[in-house]
Amino acid sequence: MADTPVDALLKGNTGRNTRGLLRIIILTTIAAAAVSSRLFSVIRFESIIHEFDPWFNFRATKYLVQNGFESFWDWFDDRTWHPLGRVTGGTLYPGLMVTSGVIYHILRFLTIPVDIRNICVLLAPACSGLTAFAMYLLTCEMSFSPSAGLLAAAFMGITPGYISRSVAGSYDNEAIAIFLLVFTFFLWIKAVKNGSIMWGALTALFYGYMVSAWGGYVFITNLIPLHVFVLLCMGRYSTRLYISYTTWYALGTLASMQIPFVGFLPIRNSDHMAALGVFGLIQLVAFAEFVRSFIPGKQFQRLLTAMVIVVFGIAFVGLVVLTVSGVIAPWSGRFYSLWDTGYAKIHIPIIASVSEHQPTAWPAFFFDLNLLIWLFPAGVYMCFRDLKDEHVFVIIYAVLASYFAGVMVRLMLTLTPIVCVAAALALSSILDTYVFASRGPNPKIKASEDASTEALRSTRNPDVGISSYISKAVVTSSVVIYLLMFVAHCTWVTSNAYSSPSVVLASRMPDGSQFIIDDYREAYYWLRQNTPDNAKIMSWWDYGYQIGGMADRPTLVDNNTWNNTHIATVGKAMSSREEVSYPILRQHDVDYVLVVFGGLLGYSGDDINKFLWMVRIAEGIWPDEVKERDYFTARGEYRVDDEATPAMRNSLMYKMSYHNFNSLFQMGQAVDRVRGSRLPAEGPQLSTLEEAFTSENWIIRIYKVKDLDNLGRDHSNAAAFERGHKRKRATKRRGPRVLRTE
Amino acid sequence: MKLFILIISLFCIIQGALCATSELDKFERYQSLSPFAPIDLNDASYEDLTTKPRDYHVAILLTAVEARYGCILCREFQSEWDLIARSWNKASKPDELRMLFTTLDFGNGKTTFQKLMLQTAPVLLVFPPTIGPFAKVDDAPSRFDFSGPISAEQLYTWINRHLPEGPKPPLVRPINYMRLVSAVTILMGAVTLFTVLSPYVLPVIQNRNLWAAFSLISILLFTSGHMFNHIRKVPYVVGDGKGGISYFAGGFSNQFGMETQIVAAIYAILSFATIALAIKVPRIADNKSQQIAVLIWGTVLFGMYSFLLSVFRAKNGGYPFFLPPF
Repeated sequence: MADTPVDALLKGNTGRNTRGLLRIIILTTIAAAAVSSRLFSVIRFESIIHEFDPWFNFRATKYLVQNGFESFWDWFDDRTWHPLGRVTGGTLYPGLMVTSGVIYHILRFLTIPVDIRNICVLLAPACSGLTAFAMYLLTCEMSFSPSAGLLAAAFMGITPGYISRSVAGSYDNEAIAIFLLVFTFFLWIKAVKNGSIMWGALTALFYGYMVSAWGGYVFITNLIPLHVFVLLCMGRYSTRLYISYTTWYALGTLASMQIPFVGFLPIRNSDHMAALGVFGLIQLVAFAEFVRSFIPGKQFQRLLTAMVIVVFGIAFVGLVVLTVSGVIAPWSGRFYSLWDTGYAKIHIPIIASVSEHQPTAWPAFFFDLNLLIWLFPAGVYMCFRDLKDEHVFVIIYAVLASYFAGVMVRLMLTLTPIVCVAAALALSSILDTYVFASRGPNPKIKASEDASTEALRSTRNPDVGISSYISKAVVTSSVVIYLLMFVAHCTWVTSNAYSSPSVVLASRMPDGSQFIIDDYREAYYWLRQNTPDNAKIMSWWDYGYQIGGMADRPTLVDNNTWNNTHIATVGKAMSSREEVSYPILRQHDVDYVLVVFGGLLGYSGDDINKFLWMVRIAEGIWPDEVKERDYFTARGEYRVDDEATPAMRNSLMYKMSYHNFNSLFQMGQAVDRVRGSRLPAEGPQLSTLEEAFTSENWIIRIYKVKDLDNLGRDHSNAAAFERGHKRKRATKRRGPRVLRTE
Repeated sequence: MKLFILIISLFCIIQGALCATSELDKFERYQSLSPFAPIDLNDASYEDLTTKPRDYHVAILLTAVEARYGCILCREFQSEWDLIARSWNKASKPDELRMLFTTLDFGNGKTTFQKLMLQTAPVLLVFPPTIGPFAKVDDAPSRFDFSGPISAEQLYTWINRHLPEGPKPPLVRPINYMRLVSAVTILMGAVTLFTVLSPYVLPVIQNRNLWAAFSLISILLFTSGHMFNHIRKVPYVVGDGKGGISYFAGGFSNQFGMETQIVAAIYAILSFATIALAIKVPRIADNKSQQIAVLIWGTVLFGMYSFLLSVFRAKNGGYPFFLPPF
């Protein structure tokens, strides 16, 4: 072989350094690609916080930066959930806000003046770069192939399943949580491999960080014990396992209990009992192993094994009894609804009403993962090839996460990391086989294989490598095509589906030019500038965080759906007649009511489409006063036109949505573009509310609640008088004369 | 004149009192027909029970249990209804709160069904009393329409809302001792069987291929949207209106049962081709057959992926990417 200058770079000590440098350069490029593909929304619109929940996180971060950590920890927020308020400091996961706060203060210390909003907007893309790096570390633990880690990092960087929750501006808990998830798993694998207390403690540390950042930490809390349990069942107990698990459990539980919102849950809630149970089991197994090493004798060992099983069984029964008797809280509703899929729909309609809690149809999987979705099973199969402890972890994670992702759309996020690992394992083994230039098997993968004794059926024959260059060229070029298509797919999906801030909407004019719909901010700024500082705004809970963040006004309910009754109250006010709603509005000091209406523009995410959920949630509390059935026509249709039911037509929501809508059109021509139906010729009459503001495209309509009438009349009479109808007096009615008999 | 009114009112009171005593008999008469389980009615006894005046509540489940009416909901609910009646009748409750739980089957009460113009079953009617301490001015029955399977607890809370305020007996589900005992027996049997058969069973359980197949199948099932079918209860296939079958549902978030199976099969073929290319082909010793195997698997992979993309394009209108053959 000729000794070219390239060879000198790639061999020996220099070679290792060069490869290390190359790896760093590649990882940096991947991180840069990951960050830049998430910037579509900043470039297209502006540096703005997206959607709903991020607005609360942003508001909390601003509070933290302005008032310091101490007062943030004890924050009682009286501007939400009027008149109840919310103990915000004790009911949130503070990790995200504290992270941004720390970054803000470091930058300030370095005299770099950056607005806190820009830190919040760009935190998610920055973390995605870190996630790609963590992914590289995790995958390198799984495979000897150097390309697997880099492929996994690249997949993780651009796959839409993760981009969906981490575009610039999507300042949500998941933004940092996925990085922490992947990194915690890497540390766990490292701990199991080395059996070192240091790695175990690091796992616990990052687990604690994860607990402070996202409610999804329960996934880790259950996955790691499950991994240990399966390893024990496979007879793979080792001191490594004992050291890493006990270190993680003891320190991690203590760390998680430091978060006020979690508190004593780790010892009182069924979600965490698996970890405790496995902790007990591993002590028993360790004790049995210890005794066994001193006392030989087959009979005695059998007795010992039986004893371990019996003690574990008794402890398990004890746990069940404690749960039934109520000492340990049962599974929390959200987590339980993953197993019993019909549970949420019957018992917690508020969970079932959220669109991201719906089950996942197959196009969503393909949309979010593209070719990874079919590389995924192949990668899992390859994990069975030499089934070490870490491969068991991949398999368990893969099966569980694909179940969860099938049940709930939002859990696609937890599936994505393992899909990237498995797909990278599969693809790297293809590349290692086919790209390797000379004949014969690739020595690197060869080394990894002969270790296992009982192999899979497909690996019984020796590996001889690929002989012909045509084969290599065919496979390599097709893989390159697939990968290029993957990149194109990811870019297309990110640009089209996941980069809309949903606060600002964009549409195309007939001539192809872009048309920006900025009604939300227009309306929220109207509220900010034209209403008193403590005017109470009532809206459906979806918009609570945005009103709090953008308009800075107190709200009745918001996206932190902790009080179902309060939400049902709002639902009842929206779905009842004005005579019923007005007292509710007065009792809750409501000054303005805000509704979202898409009928003019064809914006389908409006309140009339969400209306049935308001009715359902209200019906859950007042089944006699609000009935879902009343809002459907006799034929079971949900209509807003002439055939709409009386309950529908008299509901406050319907009246507010279609108030004065007729006046935009010619007589009898009013058309709702979302429902695609023609509206009744005569629009609804409002008497207890008056229109205060309607945004440019009618998406947001704000109504002012009228004060009590000066003359003591009720509002419908007063409104009728205004319209010029004379009040009919019952006494003056003339009927046919009747003979009075006494 | 005044005397006349007095007499009339006196008469009314006496009559009311008389009615009350006879009604008391009626309640106890019916109650004694079946002290715990719901009372079976027919047209005549339905009329008798619901005629005014009543000094008791009566809940009537109008149902059609017999198999020839094909009402699955009725049959499923019958045991729950039994449970409600039993736990009410067995428990202690305030003396003046009197309630009858009855069942009117379509077989015994065709006339009543026609009179009420009932198209569907089951339907629950609760008649309030017209005299006595809990008498209601509006004596029309409250009606509960079953819109789907419902548990005894849900219906019982509904009934309780239509009863006067005050303590009511709780719903008690009897512990199924039979099931408990049989579960323990089965568990112990399984443990024994396992210990006896362990020399034969253990190799199967420890078989790596078996576990690989199990996890791959479950992964393929879940990622092809099986849980969506399970939760939303989608149809297996739907006709296309021209006598044929449409295999793929229109729209991004819709799917049919068969569609997911096709997609799972596509994923399986693609994965298997990948596994073959990565693991099996490099182990073929003969050069010629290795070359052919590579070409075959490569073509399968390419063609299937192209087909998958074309299916996805059909589901998702604006999707711009495709591969040649399809």
